[in-house]
Amino acid sequence: MFILYVWITGLSAFTVQPQEHTGHGTSSSLLAAGDCQFRGKHYKTEFRVEGEPVVLRCPQVWSRFGAPISPQALLTWRKNNSAQMIPEGPRMWAEDGALWVLPALREDSGTYVCTLRNASHCDEMSIELRVFEDTEASLPFISYSQILTLSASGLLACPDLREFTRNRTDVKTRWYKGSVPLDENNEKFISVEGTTRLLIHDVSVEDAGYYKCAITYAHEGRQYNVTRNVKLRVNKRKEETIPVIISPLQTISTSLGSSLTIPCKVFLGAGTPDTTLLWWTANSAQIESAYPGGRVTEGPRQEYSENNENYIEVPLIFNPVLREDLDTDFKCVVLNTLSFQTLRTTVKEASSTFSWGIALAPLSLVFLVLGGIWTYRRCKRRTEKTRGLTALKTGL
Amino acid sequence: MEMCRGPCSHLISLLLFLLHSEAACRPLGRRPCRMQAFRIWDINQKTFYLRNNQLVAGYLQGPNIKLEEKIDMVPIDPHAMFLGIRGGKLCLSCVKSGDDMRLQLEAVNITNLSGTKEQDKRFSFIRSDNGPTTSFESAACPGWFICTALEADQPVSLTNRPEDTLVVTKFYFQEDQ
Repeated sequence: MFILYVWITGLSAFTVQPQEHTGHGTSSSLLAAGDCQFRGKHYKTEFRVEGEPVVLRCPQVWSRFGAPISPQALLTWRKNNSAQMIPEGPRMWAEDGALWVLPALREDSGTYVCTLRNASHCDEMSIELRVFEDTEASLPFISYSQILTLSASGLLACPDLREFTRNRTDVKTRWYKGSVPLDENNEKFISVEGTTRLLIHDVSVEDAGYYKCAITYAHEGRQYNVTRNVKLRVNKRKEETIPVIISPLQTISTSLGSSLTIPCKVFLGAGTPDTTLLWWTANSAQIESAYPGGRVTEGPRQEYSENNENYIEVPLIFNPVLREDLDTDFKCVVLNTLSFQTLRTTVKEASSTFSWGIALAPLSLVFLVLGGIWTYRRCKRRTEKTRGLTALKTGL
Repeated sequence: MEMCRGPCSHLISLLLFLLHSEAACRPLGRRPCRMQAFRIWDINQKTFYLRNNQLVAGYLQGPNIKLEEKIDMVPIDPHAMFLGIRGGKLCLSCVKSGDDMRLQLEAVNITNLSGTKEQDKRFSFIRSDNGPTTSFESAACPGWFICTALEADQPVSLTNRPEDTLVVTKFYFQEDQ
Protein backbone atom coordinates (compact mmCIF):
# COMPACT_ATOMS: atom_id res chain seq x y z
CA MET A 1 0.00 0.00 0.00
CA PHE A 2 2.78 2.38 0.97
CA ILE A 3 4.77 1.49 -2.10
CA LEU A 4 1.70 2.08 -4.25
CA TYR A 5 1.13 5.45 -2.58
CA VAL A 6 4.75 6.52 -3.11
CA TRP A 7 4.62 5.26 -6.65
CA ILE A 8 1.46 7.26 -7.38
CA THR A 9 2.99 10.33 -5.76
CA GLY A 10 6.11 9.87 -7.86
CA LEU A 11 4.00 9.35 -10.95
CA SER A 12 1.93 12.47 -10.37
CA ALA A 13 5.10 14.47 -9.68
CA PHE A 14 6.38 13.09 -12.96
CA THR A 15 3.29 14.19 -14.87
CA VAL A 16 3.23 17.66 -13.39
CA GLN A 17 6.89 18.53 -13.40
CA PRO A 18 8.98 15.93 -15.19
CA GLN A 19 12.24 17.87 -14.70
CA GLU A 20 11.92 17.54 -10.93
CA HIS A 21 11.47 13.78 -11.03
CA THR A 22 14.39 12.01 -9.40
CA GLY A 23 13.20 8.46 -8.76
CA HIS A 24 10.51 6.41 -7.09
CA GLY A 25 10.18 5.78 -3.41
CA THR A 26 13.49 7.24 -2.32
CA SER A 27 12.71 10.94 -1.90
CA SER A 28 12.61 11.75 1.78
CA SER A 29 13.77 15.35 1.83
CA LEU A 30 11.18 18.05 2.50
CA LEU A 31 9.62 19.02 -0.79
CA ALA A 32 10.37 22.48 -2.07
CA ALA A 33 7.61 25.00 -2.71
CA GLY A 34 7.49 24.44 -6.45
CA ASP A 35 6.71 20.70 -6.10
CA CYS A 36 3.17 21.06 -4.89
CA GLN A 37 0.47 19.44 -6.94
CA PHE A 38 -2.70 21.46 -7.43
CA ARG A 39 -5.69 19.16 -7.00
CA GLY A 40 -8.44 21.53 -8.05
CA LYS A 41 -11.14 23.67 -6.57
CA HIS A 42 -13.41 22.56 -3.77
CA TYR A 43 -16.98 21.68 -4.85
CA LYS A 44 -18.70 24.13 -2.58
CA THR A 45 -18.37 27.90 -2.56
CA GLU A 46 -18.86 29.56 0.84
CA PHE A 47 -21.39 32.41 0.83
CA ARG A 48 -21.19 34.43 4.04
CA VAL A 49 -22.34 37.74 5.52
CA GLU A 50 -19.94 40.60 6.37
CA GLY A 51 -19.22 41.30 10.01
CA GLU A 52 -19.63 37.65 11.02
CA PRO A 53 -17.02 35.00 11.84
CA VAL A 54 -16.15 32.74 8.88
CA VAL A 55 -14.34 29.39 8.94
CA LEU A 56 -12.90 27.97 5.72
CA ARG A 57 -12.04 24.32 6.01
CA CYS A 58 -9.01 23.08 4.10
CA PRO A 59 -10.58 21.01 1.28
CA GLN A 60 -7.95 18.25 1.47
CA VAL A 61 -8.99 17.51 5.03
CA TRP A 62 -12.32 16.40 3.54
CA SER A 63 -10.84 14.61 0.56
CA ARG A 64 -8.81 12.38 2.81
CA PHE A 65 -11.73 11.26 4.86
CA GLY A 66 -10.65 8.15 6.75
CA ALA A 67 -6.97 9.02 6.46
CA PRO A 68 -6.31 11.78 9.01
CA ILE A 69 -3.64 14.35 8.39
CA SER A 70 -0.52 13.65 10.43
CA PRO A 71 0.36 16.21 13.10
CA GLN A 72 3.71 16.75 11.37
CA ALA A 73 1.98 18.03 8.25
CA LEU A 74 2.27 21.74 7.66
CA LEU A 75 -0.85 23.54 6.58
CA THR A 76 -0.65 27.03 5.09
CA TRP A 77 -3.04 29.36 3.30
CA ARG A 78 -2.64 31.94 0.58
CA LYS A 79 -5.16 34.09 -1.22
CA ASN A 80 -5.93 34.30 -4.97
CA ASN A 81 -2.74 33.93 -6.99
CA SER A 82 -0.51 35.53 -4.42
CA ALA A 83 2.61 33.54 -3.56
CA GLN A 84 2.55 35.08 -0.12
CA MET A 85 1.30 33.04 2.77
CA ILE A 86 -1.50 34.67 4.73
CA PRO A 87 0.24 35.95 7.86
CA GLU A 88 -1.21 34.97 11.22
CA GLY A 89 -3.00 37.95 12.69
CA PRO A 90 -5.79 38.90 15.06
CA ARG A 91 -8.36 38.85 12.22
CA MET A 92 -7.17 35.81 10.23
CA TRP A 93 -5.44 32.69 11.48
CA ALA A 94 -5.11 28.96 10.74
CA GLU A 95 -6.38 26.48 13.29
CA ASP A 96 -7.29 22.76 13.15
CA GLY A 97 -7.11 22.48 9.38
CA ALA A 98 -9.21 25.62 8.85
CA LEU A 99 -8.76 29.32 8.19
CA TRP A 100 -10.57 31.58 10.66
CA VAL A 101 -11.66 35.04 9.57
CA LEU A 102 -13.11 37.13 12.34
CA PRO A 103 -14.94 39.24 11.39
CA ALA A 104 -15.22 38.79 7.60
CA LEU A 105 -15.08 41.86 5.36
CA ARG A 106 -16.42 42.13 1.83
CA GLU A 107 -12.90 42.48 0.48
CA ASP A 108 -12.10 39.04 1.90
CA SER A 109 -14.02 37.58 -1.05
CA GLY A 110 -11.75 35.52 -3.27
CA THR A 111 -10.09 32.18 -3.80
CA TYR A 112 -8.13 30.69 -0.93
CA VAL A 113 -5.51 28.01 -1.56
CA CYS A 114 -4.72 25.54 1.19
CA THR A 115 -1.28 23.91 0.98
CA LEU A 116 -0.67 20.70 2.85
CA ARG A 117 2.94 19.61 3.10
CA ASN A 118 4.89 16.88 4.84
CA ALA A 119 8.22 15.15 4.27
CA SER A 120 7.15 13.21 1.19
CA HIS A 121 4.03 14.86 -0.05
CA CYS A 122 2.59 18.22 -0.90
CA ASP A 123 -0.71 19.19 -2.44
CA GLU A 124 -2.94 22.18 -2.81
CA MET A 125 -6.66 22.78 -3.20
CA SER A 126 -8.61 25.99 -3.43
CA ILE A 127 -11.91 27.11 -1.97
CA GLU A 128 -13.92 30.17 -2.90
CA LEU A 129 -15.31 32.60 -0.35
CA ARG A 130 -17.85 35.28 -1.18
CA VAL A 131 -18.77 37.80 1.50
CA PHE A 132 -22.06 39.62 1.02
CA GLU A 133 -23.75 42.63 2.54
CA ASP A 134 -26.57 41.65 4.88
CA THR A 135 -29.37 42.74 2.53
CA GLU A 136 -32.38 41.11 0.91
CA ALA A 137 -30.58 41.06 -2.45
CA SER A 138 -27.98 38.67 -0.99
CA LEU A 139 -30.59 36.11 0.12
CA PRO A 140 -30.58 33.94 -3.04
CA PHE A 141 -26.83 33.38 -2.57
CA ILE A 142 -26.52 32.98 1.17
CA SER A 143 -29.71 30.92 1.74
CA TYR A 144 -29.83 27.17 2.19
CA SER A 145 -32.74 25.51 0.43
CA GLN A 146 -34.84 23.27 2.71
CA ILE A 147 -38.13 21.47 2.01
CA LEU A 148 -40.99 20.30 4.24
CA THR A 149 -44.22 18.49 3.50
CA LEU A 150 -47.59 20.19 3.80
CA SER A 151 -49.80 19.16 6.76
CA ALA A 152 -47.01 17.21 8.46
CA SER A 153 -44.57 18.33 11.14
CA GLY A 154 -40.90 18.72 10.28
CA LEU A 155 -37.52 20.21 11.16
CA LEU A 156 -35.52 23.11 9.80
CA ALA A 157 -31.78 23.00 10.39
CA CYS A 158 -29.42 25.90 11.09
CA PRO A 159 -26.54 24.57 8.98
CA ASP A 160 -22.74 24.62 8.98
CA LEU A 161 -22.16 25.82 12.54
CA ARG A 162 -19.85 22.99 13.61
CA GLU A 163 -16.81 25.14 14.44
CA PHE A 164 -18.91 27.52 16.54
CA THR A 165 -20.86 24.91 18.51
CA ARG A 166 -18.11 22.33 19.10
CA ASN A 167 -17.62 21.40 22.77
CA ARG A 168 -20.34 23.82 23.83
CA THR A 169 -23.45 22.92 25.77
CA ASP A 170 -24.80 26.46 26.10
CA VAL A 171 -25.68 26.96 22.44
CA LYS A 172 -28.99 28.68 22.03
CA THR A 173 -30.37 29.13 18.54
CA ARG A 174 -32.61 32.10 17.85
CA TRP A 175 -34.99 31.73 14.92
CA TYR A 176 -36.68 34.42 12.83
CA LYS A 177 -39.33 34.16 10.14
CA GLY A 178 -38.32 36.97 7.81
CA SER A 179 -37.15 39.46 10.43
CA VAL A 180 -39.77 38.59 13.06
CA PRO A 181 -38.38 36.60 16.01
CA LEU A 182 -40.17 33.32 16.71
CA ASP A 183 -40.76 33.63 20.42
CA GLU A 184 -40.22 30.77 22.84
CA ASN A 185 -43.85 30.35 23.81
CA ASN A 186 -44.90 29.75 20.24
CA GLU A 187 -46.65 26.40 19.92
CA LYS A 188 -46.19 26.09 16.19
CA PHE A 189 -42.45 26.83 16.04
CA ILE A 190 -40.27 25.15 18.66
CA SER A 191 -36.51 25.60 18.80
CA VAL A 192 -35.37 22.09 19.74
CA GLU A 193 -33.31 22.36 22.91
CA GLY A 194 -29.64 21.41 22.71
CA THR A 195 -29.72 21.41 18.90
CA THR A 196 -29.69 24.00 16.16
CA ARG A 197 -33.01 22.79 14.74
CA LEU A 198 -36.49 24.30 14.58
CA LEU A 199 -39.57 22.07 14.76
CA ILE A 200 -42.56 23.31 12.76
CA HIS A 201 -45.90 21.74 13.66
CA ASP A 202 -48.46 21.03 10.97
CA VAL A 203 -46.71 22.83 8.11
CA SER A 204 -48.98 25.11 6.07
CA VAL A 205 -48.46 26.93 2.76
CA GLU A 206 -47.96 30.21 4.66
CA ASP A 207 -44.92 28.75 6.44
CA ALA A 208 -42.89 28.84 3.20
CA GLY A 209 -40.33 31.61 2.78
CA TYR A 210 -37.12 32.92 4.32
CA TYR A 211 -36.01 32.07 7.86
CA LYS A 212 -32.97 33.25 9.73
CA CYS A 213 -31.25 31.51 12.59
CA ALA A 214 -28.52 32.97 14.79
CA ILE A 215 -26.18 31.87 17.54
CA THR A 216 -23.73 33.90 19.60
CA TYR A 217 -20.02 33.12 19.46
CA ALA A 218 -17.53 34.66 21.87
CA HIS A 219 -13.86 35.21 21.03
CA GLU A 220 -11.37 37.06 23.20
CA GLY A 221 -14.05 38.79 25.17
CA ARG A 222 -16.08 39.89 22.16
CA GLN A 223 -19.45 38.49 21.15
CA TYR A 224 -20.21 37.80 17.53
CA ASN A 225 -23.44 36.79 15.83
CA VAL A 226 -23.27 33.85 13.45
CA THR A 227 -26.36 33.77 11.22
CA ARG A 228 -27.62 31.41 8.55
CA ASN A 229 -30.53 31.90 6.18
CA VAL A 230 -32.93 29.17 5.14
CA LYS A 231 -35.41 29.28 2.31
CA LEU A 232 -38.24 26.92 3.12
CA ARG A 233 -40.30 25.38 0.36
CA VAL A 234 -43.51 23.54 1.22
CA ASN A 235 -44.26 20.51 -0.93
CA LYS A 236 -47.78 19.24 -1.28
CA ARG A 237 -47.99 15.51 -0.87
CA LYS A 238 -49.28 13.81 -3.96
CA GLU A 239 -52.37 11.66 -3.51
CA GLU A 240 -52.06 8.14 -4.82
CA THR A 241 -54.86 5.85 -5.97
CA ILE A 242 -54.89 2.22 -7.09
CA PRO A 243 -54.33 2.35 -10.87
CA VAL A 244 -56.56 0.39 -13.25
CA ILE A 245 -55.31 -0.84 -16.63
CA ILE A 246 -58.21 -0.26 -19.02
CA SER A 247 -56.60 -1.30 -22.29
CA PRO A 248 -55.23 -3.16 -24.33
CA LEU A 249 -57.35 -6.21 -25.14
CA GLN A 250 -55.96 -9.62 -24.30
CA THR A 251 -55.35 -10.50 -27.92
CA ILE A 252 -54.48 -8.13 -30.70
CA SER A 253 -54.97 -9.26 -34.29
CA THR A 254 -52.58 -8.06 -36.90
CA SER A 255 -50.92 -9.20 -40.07
CA LEU A 256 -47.22 -10.12 -40.20
CA GLY A 257 -44.93 -7.51 -41.72
CA SER A 258 -47.14 -4.59 -40.83
CA SER A 259 -46.45 -2.02 -38.13
CA LEU A 260 -48.52 -2.12 -34.98
CA THR A 261 -49.07 0.15 -31.97
CA ILE A 262 -50.63 -1.22 -28.80
CA PRO A 263 -51.40 1.51 -26.27
CA CYS A 264 -51.50 0.60 -22.59
CA LYS A 265 -53.94 2.98 -20.95
CA VAL A 266 -54.21 3.34 -17.19
CA PHE A 267 -56.97 5.05 -15.23
CA LEU A 268 -55.82 6.91 -12.08
CA GLY A 269 -58.93 8.87 -11.14
CA ALA A 270 -57.88 11.71 -8.84
CA GLY A 271 -54.47 10.06 -8.21
CA THR A 272 -51.21 11.66 -9.28
CA PRO A 273 -49.42 10.40 -12.40
CA ASP A 274 -46.08 11.55 -10.90
CA THR A 275 -45.46 8.51 -8.73
CA THR A 276 -47.09 5.97 -11.03
CA LEU A 277 -44.74 4.09 -13.30
CA LEU A 278 -45.92 2.37 -16.45
CA TRP A 279 -43.87 0.17 -18.76
CA TRP A 280 -43.98 -2.87 -21.07
CA THR A 281 -42.16 -6.20 -20.85
CA ALA A 282 -41.57 -8.95 -23.41
CA ASN A 283 -41.25 -12.44 -21.81
CA SER A 284 -40.58 -10.62 -18.49
CA ALA A 285 -37.63 -8.69 -19.99
CA GLN A 286 -37.53 -4.98 -20.54
CA ILE A 287 -38.27 -3.85 -24.07
CA GLU A 288 -34.92 -2.06 -24.54
CA SER A 289 -32.93 -5.15 -23.59
CA ALA A 290 -35.22 -7.62 -25.40
CA TYR A 291 -35.04 -5.65 -28.66
CA PRO A 292 -31.65 -3.90 -28.73
CA GLY A 293 -32.13 -3.28 -32.45
CA GLY A 294 -35.23 -1.24 -31.70
CA ARG A 295 -37.69 -3.24 -33.80
CA VAL A 296 -40.08 -3.20 -30.85
CA THR A 297 -39.98 -0.03 -28.71
CA GLU A 298 -41.90 1.76 -26.01
CA GLY A 299 -43.41 4.99 -27.22
CA PRO A 300 -43.35 8.16 -25.13
CA ARG A 301 -45.44 8.32 -22.00
CA GLN A 302 -48.52 10.52 -22.16
CA GLU A 303 -50.29 11.99 -19.17
CA TYR A 304 -53.69 13.59 -19.62
CA SER A 305 -57.01 14.34 -17.94
CA GLU A 306 -60.51 13.61 -19.20
CA ASN A 307 -63.40 15.00 -17.11
CA ASN A 308 -60.99 15.66 -14.21
CA GLU A 309 -59.87 12.03 -14.17
CA ASN A 310 -56.17 11.33 -14.75
CA TYR A 311 -54.89 8.84 -17.28
CA ILE A 312 -51.44 7.72 -18.37
CA GLU A 313 -50.58 5.84 -21.52
CA VAL A 314 -47.48 4.15 -22.92
CA PRO A 315 -47.67 2.53 -26.37
CA LEU A 316 -45.77 -0.54 -27.50
CA ILE A 317 -44.67 -0.13 -31.10
CA PHE A 318 -43.81 -2.97 -33.52
CA ASN A 319 -42.01 -2.00 -36.69
CA PRO A 320 -42.79 -4.47 -38.17
CA VAL A 321 -44.60 -7.41 -36.56
CA LEU A 322 -42.68 -10.67 -37.05
CA ARG A 323 -43.76 -14.29 -36.56
CA GLU A 324 -41.75 -14.56 -33.30
CA ASP A 325 -44.02 -11.92 -31.74
CA LEU A 326 -46.91 -14.38 -31.87
CA ASP A 327 -45.15 -16.55 -29.24
CA THR A 328 -44.01 -13.66 -27.07
CA ASP A 329 -45.70 -12.80 -23.81
CA PHE A 330 -46.17 -9.01 -23.74
CA LYS A 331 -47.17 -7.42 -20.47
CA CYS A 332 -48.15 -3.92 -19.53
CA VAL A 333 -46.98 -3.19 -15.97
CA VAL A 334 -48.20 -0.37 -13.71
CA LEU A 335 -46.76 0.37 -10.30
CA ASN A 336 -47.06 2.89 -7.52
CA THR A 337 -46.62 2.58 -3.76
CA LEU A 338 -50.17 1.21 -3.38
CA SER A 339 -50.36 -1.33 -6.13
CA PHE A 340 -48.58 -3.43 -8.72
CA GLN A 341 -50.60 -4.72 -11.66
CA THR A 342 -49.92 -6.38 -14.97
CA LEU A 343 -52.02 -7.05 -18.02
CA ARG A 344 -50.93 -9.71 -20.49
CA THR A 345 -51.53 -9.34 -24.17
CA THR A 346 -50.66 -11.58 -27.10
CA VAL A 347 -50.33 -10.72 -30.73
CA LYS A 348 -52.36 -12.95 -33.03
CA GLU A 349 -52.05 -13.29 -36.76
CA ALA A 350 -55.29 -12.26 -38.40
CA SER A 351 -56.59 -15.57 -39.93
CA SER A 352 -56.83 -15.68 -43.75
CA THR A 353 -60.55 -16.58 -43.79
CA PHE A 354 -61.23 -13.67 -41.56
CA SER A 355 -59.39 -11.23 -43.78
CA TRP A 356 -61.05 -12.69 -46.87
CA GLY A 357 -64.35 -12.23 -45.07
CA ILE A 358 -63.49 -8.56 -44.55
CA ALA A 359 -62.54 -8.21 -48.22
CA LEU A 360 -65.62 -10.09 -49.44
CA ALA A 361 -68.14 -8.46 -47.15
CA PRO A 362 -68.50 -5.20 -49.11
CA LEU A 363 -68.35 -7.11 -52.39
CA SER A 364 -71.14 -9.49 -51.33
CA LEU A 365 -73.09 -6.45 -50.15
CA VAL A 366 -72.72 -4.92 -53.60
CA PHE A 367 -73.88 -8.21 -55.19
CA LEU A 368 -76.80 -8.38 -52.79
CA VAL A 369 -77.85 -4.81 -53.60
CA LEU A 370 -77.42 -5.37 -57.34
CA GLY A 371 -79.31 -8.64 -57.06
CA GLY A 372 -82.03 -6.87 -55.12
CA ILE A 373 -82.31 -4.13 -57.69
CA TRP A 374 -82.36 -6.66 -60.50
CA THR A 375 -85.13 -8.73 -58.77
CA TYR A 376 -87.09 -5.55 -58.02
CA ARG A 377 -86.87 -4.40 -61.62
CA ARG A 378 -87.82 -7.84 -62.86
CA CYS A 379 -90.83 -7.93 -60.58
CA LYS A 380 -91.80 -4.39 -61.57
CA ARG A 381 -91.55 -5.19 -65.27
CA ARG A 382 -93.69 -8.30 -64.76
CA THR A 383 -96.44 -6.39 -63.00
CA GLU A 384 -96.29 -3.72 -65.70
CA LYS A 385 -96.63 -6.43 -68.35
CA THR A 386 -99.61 -7.99 -66.64
CA ARG A 387 -101.14 -4.53 -66.13
CA GLY A 388 -100.57 -3.85 -69.86
CA LEU A 389 -102.22 -7.10 -70.70
CA THR A 390 -105.21 -6.26 -68.50
CA ALA A 391 -105.41 -2.83 -70.15
CA LEU A 392 -105.29 -4.46 -73.52
CA LYS A 393 -107.99 -6.84 -72.46
CA THR A 394 -110.21 -4.07 -71.08
CA GLY A 395 -109.44 -1.93 -74.15
CA LEU A 396 -110.77 -4.64 -76.28
CA MET B 1 -67.04 8.88 -58.79
CA GLU B 2 -69.35 9.26 -55.84
CA MET B 3 -68.64 5.63 -54.88
CA CYS B 4 -64.88 6.18 -54.77
CA ARG B 5 -64.67 9.23 -52.47
CA GLY B 6 -65.65 7.35 -49.31
CA PRO B 7 -62.93 4.65 -49.23
CA CYS B 8 -60.31 7.10 -50.59
CA SER B 9 -60.77 9.56 -47.75
CA HIS B 10 -60.67 6.69 -45.25
CA LEU B 11 -57.44 5.46 -46.76
CA ILE B 12 -55.91 8.95 -46.50
CA SER B 13 -56.93 9.34 -42.88
CA LEU B 14 -55.57 5.86 -42.12
CA LEU B 15 -52.24 6.77 -43.72
CA LEU B 16 -52.17 10.06 -41.84
CA PHE B 17 -52.84 8.23 -38.60
CA LEU B 18 -50.00 5.76 -39.22
CA LEU B 19 -47.58 8.55 -40.17
CA HIS B 20 -48.64 10.56 -37.15
CA SER B 21 -48.09 7.70 -34.73
CA GLU B 22 -44.68 7.02 -36.26
CA ALA B 23 -43.66 10.62 -35.70
CA ALA B 24 -45.00 10.83 -32.15
CA CYS B 25 -43.35 7.64 -30.95
CA ARG B 26 -39.72 8.52 -31.53
CA PRO B 27 -37.90 6.74 -28.72
CA LEU B 28 -34.75 8.87 -28.89
CA GLY B 29 -33.76 11.10 -26.01
CA ARG B 30 -36.37 10.02 -23.50
CA ARG B 31 -35.95 8.40 -20.16
CA PRO B 32 -36.97 4.75 -19.87
CA CYS B 33 -40.53 4.51 -18.61
CA ARG B 34 -39.40 2.45 -15.64
CA MET B 35 -36.84 4.89 -14.25
CA GLN B 36 -37.85 7.91 -12.24
CA ALA B 37 -35.85 10.70 -10.60
CA PHE B 38 -36.51 11.45 -6.94
CA ARG B 39 -35.16 14.12 -4.63
CA ILE B 40 -33.84 12.78 -1.37
CA TRP B 41 -33.00 14.68 1.82
CA ASP B 42 -32.87 13.52 5.42
CA ILE B 43 -35.15 14.80 8.18
CA ASN B 44 -32.36 17.21 9.20
CA GLN B 45 -32.50 18.72 5.69
CA LYS B 46 -29.17 17.35 4.44
CA THR B 47 -29.06 16.62 0.72
CA PHE B 48 -26.81 14.20 -1.14
CA TYR B 49 -23.82 15.24 -3.22
CA LEU B 50 -20.68 13.57 -4.59
CA ARG B 51 -17.22 14.21 -3.14
CA ASN B 52 -14.35 12.22 -4.68
CA ASN B 53 -16.80 9.65 -6.05
CA GLN B 54 -18.31 9.16 -2.63
CA LEU B 55 -21.88 10.02 -1.77
CA VAL B 56 -22.03 12.45 1.16
CA ALA B 57 -24.88 14.30 2.86
CA GLY B 58 -24.62 17.98 3.67
CA TYR B 59 -26.19 21.40 3.40
CA LEU B 60 -26.10 23.11 0.04
CA GLN B 61 -26.26 26.86 -0.07
CA GLY B 62 -27.37 29.18 -2.89
CA PRO B 63 -25.74 28.20 -6.20
CA ASN B 64 -24.14 25.11 -4.56
CA ILE B 65 -27.53 23.42 -4.95
CA LYS B 66 -26.38 22.41 -8.46
CA LEU B 67 -24.20 19.78 -6.76
CA GLU B 68 -27.29 17.96 -5.46
CA GLU B 69 -27.53 14.32 -6.55
CA LYS B 70 -31.00 13.11 -7.35
CA ILE B 71 -31.84 9.47 -6.89
CA ASP B 72 -32.81 7.46 -9.95
CA MET B 73 -35.21 4.75 -8.94
CA VAL B 74 -36.21 1.60 -10.80
CA PRO B 75 -38.92 -0.37 -8.99
CA ILE B 76 -38.94 -4.13 -8.61
CA ASP B 77 -42.28 -4.31 -6.81
CA PRO B 78 -44.24 -1.74 -4.76
CA HIS B 79 -41.67 -1.86 -1.94
CA ALA B 80 -38.38 -3.08 -3.45
CA MET B 81 -36.31 -0.98 -5.81
CA PHE B 82 -32.90 -0.25 -7.29
CA LEU B 83 -31.34 3.10 -6.43
CA GLY B 84 -28.80 4.97 -8.51
CA ILE B 85 -27.45 8.41 -9.34
CA ARG B 86 -26.12 10.15 -12.46
CA GLY B 87 -28.91 8.96 -14.73
CA GLY B 88 -28.78 5.45 -13.27
CA LYS B 89 -25.12 4.91 -14.26
CA LEU B 90 -23.89 4.54 -10.64
CA CYS B 91 -25.92 2.26 -8.37
CA LEU B 92 -26.06 1.90 -4.61
CA SER B 93 -25.26 -1.55 -3.26
CA CYS B 94 -24.65 -3.28 0.07
CA VAL B 95 -21.37 -5.19 0.25
CA LYS B 96 -20.18 -7.21 3.22
CA SER B 97 -16.74 -6.29 4.53
CA GLY B 98 -15.82 -8.25 7.66
CA ASP B 99 -18.58 -7.86 10.20
CA ASP B 100 -19.60 -4.59 8.67
CA MET B 101 -21.78 -3.77 5.73
CA ARG B 102 -20.60 -1.13 3.35
CA LEU B 103 -22.66 1.09 1.09
CA GLN B 104 -21.01 1.21 -2.32
CA LEU B 105 -21.48 3.08 -5.55
CA GLU B 106 -20.97 0.69 -8.45
CA ALA B 107 -20.69 1.62 -12.09
CA VAL B 108 -23.56 -0.47 -13.46
CA ASN B 109 -26.53 0.65 -15.50
CA ILE B 110 -29.66 0.62 -13.35
CA THR B 111 -31.85 -0.46 -16.27
CA ASN B 112 -29.74 -3.59 -16.76
CA LEU B 113 -30.40 -4.80 -13.21
CA SER B 114 -32.92 -7.57 -12.72
CA GLY B 115 -35.11 -8.23 -9.71
CA THR B 116 -34.91 -11.98 -10.28
CA LYS B 117 -31.10 -12.36 -10.56
CA GLU B 118 -29.31 -13.31 -7.34
CA GLN B 119 -26.17 -11.37 -8.31
CA ASP B 120 -28.23 -8.16 -8.53
CA LYS B 121 -29.70 -8.56 -5.06
CA ARG B 122 -27.04 -6.36 -3.45
CA PHE B 123 -28.51 -3.42 -5.38
CA SER B 124 -32.03 -3.99 -4.08
CA PHE B 125 -33.50 -1.84 -1.27
CA ILE B 126 -36.82 -2.17 0.51
CA ARG B 127 -38.63 1.04 1.30
CA SER B 128 -40.87 1.53 4.31
CA ASP B 129 -42.94 4.66 4.69
CA ASN B 130 -43.79 6.34 7.94
CA GLY B 131 -45.89 9.46 7.45
CA PRO B 132 -44.07 11.76 5.07
CA THR B 133 -40.70 10.00 5.50
CA THR B 134 -39.15 6.85 4.03
CA SER B 135 -36.45 4.40 5.19
CA PHE B 136 -34.43 2.08 2.95
CA GLU B 137 -33.33 -1.36 4.10
CA SER B 138 -30.90 -3.38 2.02
CA ALA B 139 -32.49 -6.57 0.68
CA ALA B 140 -29.10 -8.33 0.58
CA CYS B 141 -28.12 -7.14 4.08
CA PRO B 142 -31.31 -7.51 6.17
CA GLY B 143 -31.46 -5.15 9.15
CA TRP B 144 -29.08 -2.61 7.55
CA PHE B 145 -30.55 0.77 6.62
CA ILE B 146 -29.23 3.63 4.50
CA CYS B 147 -28.21 6.42 6.87
CA THR B 148 -26.53 9.79 7.13
CA ALA B 149 -24.40 11.00 10.03
CA LEU B 150 -25.78 13.68 12.30
CA GLU B 151 -22.79 15.78 11.34
CA ALA B 152 -22.85 17.40 7.89
CA ASP B 153 -20.58 16.49 4.94
CA GLN B 154 -20.05 12.88 6.06
CA PRO B 155 -20.50 9.83 3.80
CA VAL B 156 -23.91 8.26 3.30
CA SER B 157 -23.59 4.77 4.80
CA LEU B 158 -25.46 1.81 6.31
CA THR B 159 -26.43 1.17 9.93
CA ASN B 160 -27.94 -1.79 11.75
CA ARG B 161 -28.99 0.48 14.62
CA PRO B 162 -31.54 2.80 13.06
CA GLU B 163 -32.63 4.07 16.50
CA ASP B 164 -29.12 5.40 17.23
CA THR B 165 -29.27 9.18 17.81
CA LEU B 166 -26.04 9.79 15.89
CA VAL B 167 -27.46 8.54 12.60
CA VAL B 168 -30.47 9.51 10.51
CA THR B 169 -32.37 6.81 8.61
CA LYS B 170 -35.52 8.80 7.82
CA PHE B 171 -35.57 10.53 4.48
CA TYR B 172 -37.92 12.59 2.44
CA PHE B 173 -38.12 10.83 -0.91
CA GLN B 174 -40.25 12.76 -3.37
CA GLU B 175 -40.60 12.81 -7.12
CA ASP B 176 -38.60 15.55 -8.77
CA GLN B 177 -41.00 18.43 -9.43
